[in-house]
Amino acid sequence: MTVRIDPDHTDARALFDTVDIRGKGVLEIGSGDGRFTWRYADRAGRVTAIEPVAKQAALAVERLPSRLRDRVELRNIALEDFASTSPSSAFDIVILSWSLC
Amino acid sequence: MVHALESIHRLLKPSGALIDIHPVAESSPLEIHQGGTIDQVGYLSVPQWCLDSRQADDALADVARRGLFTLERSSKFDALTYYDSAAEMASSVKESIDKFARDASAIEAVPQAQALAERAGQTLRAAGVGAELVIRERTHISRLKR
Repeated sequence: MTVRIDPDHTDARALFDTVDIRGKGVLEIGSGDGRFTWRYADRAGRVTAIEPVAKQAALAVERLPSRLRDRVELRNIALEDFASTSPSSAFDIVILSWSLC
Repeated sequence: MVHALESIHRLLKPSGALIDIHPVAESSPLEIHQGGTIDQVGYLSVPQWCLDSRQADDALADVARRGLFTLERSSKFDALTYYDSAAEMASSVKESIDKFARDASAIEAVPQAQALAERAGQTLRAAGVGAELVIRERTHISRLKR
């Protein structure tokens, strides 16, 4: 049995139609198991993906494609904690992926 | 939510952009796809998710009113999730509800989702080989300039 979530990558296509991420520094908030991150990270300059739920963050670490290892930093941390230890004006783009809810 | 948006404002460069992706505050159609045809079975409705989506819209509107962000672009797309069986769908939806439930009222959506899955299962079996169960989630994506 398999669940296929958005196999046509309409989410990534919608993102590319909405913003030019080429070469940009991206912060993704609520990156879950990384499913969405892997779909766009090839185009970005550098991606920091944060996820507060430990189980989801661990899955992302396990599933991080080798081609993205130098480009994507995965962190198990909540936005509040991440923001309190990060410098201002650090990112070109912030993506709230299904996480503002 | 508003506090999170204020933190994001600080983390972004002055010319930076916030991209928000979240489901629209509506029920999601449940469909059976087979050989190019689509039949609608019903609607999956989880009140907490709809409420969360509305609150997300309100929070974005609030920070826009305060001048923290300016809405530059907004559109919608359908994110489709495919299931081989109704049992798989019921299990997956229950897992999501359990994961994101904030209180007991959210769990009340589980029996409704299971009843919908049961009905979908009958339709799926009648449709025969190659039929798939699909949840169509209408999703909102917007770009806000800092």
